[in-house]
Amino acid sequence: MDRARSGTIRRRLLLILLGPLTLLLSLGIVLDYSAGMAPLQAAFDQALVNETLAISAQLRPGATGRIEFDLPQQAIDVLRSDKDDTVYYLVQDAAGEVLGGDGGLPVAANPRANPAFRDGQYAGHAVRAASYRVNTPAGQATITVAETTHKRLHARRRLLTTIILSDLIQLAGILATVWLGVRIGLRPLLSLRTQIDSRSARDLAPLDETQVPGEVRPLTRALNRLFATVRATAQGQLQFLANAAHQLRTPLAGLQTQIELLIQDPAAAQLRAPLTGMLNGTRRLGHTANQLLALARAEPTAAAAVDFRELDLRGIAEEVVARQFETALQRRIDLGVEAAHARVGGSAWLLRELLDNLVDNALTYTPADGRVTVRCGLEEGNAARAFLEVEDDGPGIAPEQRARVIERFYRPPGSTGEGCGLGLAIVDEIARAHHAALSIGSGANDSGTRVRITFAAA
Amino acid sequence: MRILIIEDDALVADGMRRGLSQSGFAVDHVSSAELAEAALTQENFDLLLVDLGLPGADGFDLIKRLRRGGNPAPVLIVTARDALADRVSALDLGADDYLVKPFALPELAARCRALIRRSKSSSNSDLSIGPLRLDISRRETKVHARPVDLTRREWAILECLALHAGQVVAKDRLQQAISSWEDGITTNAVEVYISRLRGKLGDDVAIRTVRGLGYRLDESAT
Repeated sequence: MDRARSGTIRRRLLLILLGPLTLLLSLGIVLDYSAGMAPLQAAFDQALVNETLAISAQLRPGATGRIEFDLPQQAIDVLRSDKDDTVYYLVQDAAGEVLGGDGGLPVAANPRANPAFRDGQYAGHAVRAASYRVNTPAGQATITVAETTHKRLHARRRLLTTIILSDLIQLAGILATVWLGVRIGLRPLLSLRTQIDSRSARDLAPLDETQVPGEVRPLTRALNRLFATVRATAQGQLQFLANAAHQLRTPLAGLQTQIELLIQDPAAAQLRAPLTGMLNGTRRLGHTANQLLALARAEPTAAAAVDFRELDLRGIAEEVVARQFETALQRRIDLGVEAAHARVGGSAWLLRELLDNLVDNALTYTPADGRVTVRCGLEEGNAARAFLEVEDDGPGIAPEQRARVIERFYRPPGSTGEGCGLGLAIVDEIARAHHAALSIGSGANDSGTRVRITFAAA
Repeated sequence: MRILIIEDDALVADGMRRGLSQSGFAVDHVSSAELAEAALTQENFDLLLVDLGLPGADGFDLIKRLRRGGNPAPVLIVTARDALADRVSALDLGADDYLVKPFALPELAARCRALIRRSKSSSNSDLSIGPLRLDISRRETKVHARPVDLTRREWAILECLALHAGQVVAKDRLQQAISSWEDGITTNAVEVYISRLRGKLGDDVAIRTVRGLGYRLDESAT
């Protein structure tokens, strides 16, 4: 997509409208100018004609039978008085003989028009001349009055400036109206955007189609269809996992109880060692099956169907510690909790699974007489961010191993115990589903392990 | 103590039946909700172990119908389903506890004992946890048949722990158990009473401290 295509609709509309609008307004300027200029020219010309008429009143037949022309100096002064332009005049008889005035003045000689007008040059200046033919008893005379064009140029300039200025204001006004109109018109679209923006990534509820304009409705419909598909896929995935869990766990439960009973059976006393091995194997199998199911359920395709709601991390911390207390006791590990209230949006089931795995890891890798502490609360200085962490005083995880231990089935060199290498992968996956960050560090005094889940600010 | 197992998997049902019999329970087994209802009209049971995924009517339906019919027997769900939705709806419907397969037999027996003990506590019978014996109606305590003299508050705390033996009881909850006599009791007071109880009951009765959470009275698994 190029820039113009990917830009905002408002920008595109403005760009598209700018060209034609400018052309239209330029045409308007030309039309306005010519329409405004014509009466102006006529008015100025009429003034020239009036002057020729004033002069014509001074013509009289002379004694010789020729036309006599006598203009007093006072009248000449009145004639020539103009604050912007220089006025010239010329009186000729029918033969073109100059009877008075400024000789050489251009004459508008148009036999079909009376008065007639022309533009010309006189004394090095552009002039406009009006010629008027009068019939006197002594024959025809032509009176020409001309003036320089300063006044006209000035008027033309003012007219043009006014027109251009007003058209530019119109252009700006139209563009502003378009901008505003588009903005108002796009408001339903923007509210749709806000609606999509503000919902959590997990929210797959359909968008409200009644609030959007008709043009956008196919888009929301497509989105809603997509949401429905994702939802259905996730639900199908969860259903599959529930069935898989049932099919895996039920025979495992049967096996495990039967082996436990055999171990206690005096008749099978000689088989106790291999039976104990079988029991351990079955337990590990059960553990791995549980881990795989948990991991699959925490993955985005399935987690999308898991119900998220507001909950208190403290409740989950206390519940998991209470449940794992017996295991800790058997391994002679001091398991405790330091929990403050911390509300987050999440799935209680998944978070319980997460914490179960962290505590399980800590109890597995911490030697006897060690100490494991579950903490939750709000981070200091940044009260909006809730955290959940487990700290132990075991051997710790070497810094270079910390990134790798969250890989599936990865077990650090030299690790013992029954772990299948999925615990931290589950923790990581569940943290991701909650938009929470997982960090692995060392505990107090730089020993042991501390795994912390930091939730995004509420 | 009579237990009815409602479980369609023969191997699991057999293991549970034999394991619980060895722990001293009288155990019956049916393989469907319909058969369970028939059995329940004939006889009384102290505890029902219900599998959720049954053929025909499932465990949810069974629990719903039992509770609607006024059957008070505690219900322990034993199932391969562990999703949150299952857990919530089963407990909402009136199940009392939830155990996910696969499980260890001692864990199953402990849960059964705890549920039966709690359901019997209202009928003022005796509570017996290892060497410890509580006579609820007369408020008498014995360890290995040796009478132990407890104050009212010490008794209240021990009773609360004994009713939930094997489970962690939050300090807040113990505080509530004694605060009816005197307002403004701090959680420090609970610590004082626990320490006195430990002294009076001796080393054979183990009250464990769960750091930051509360206490647990050990239930010796048999």
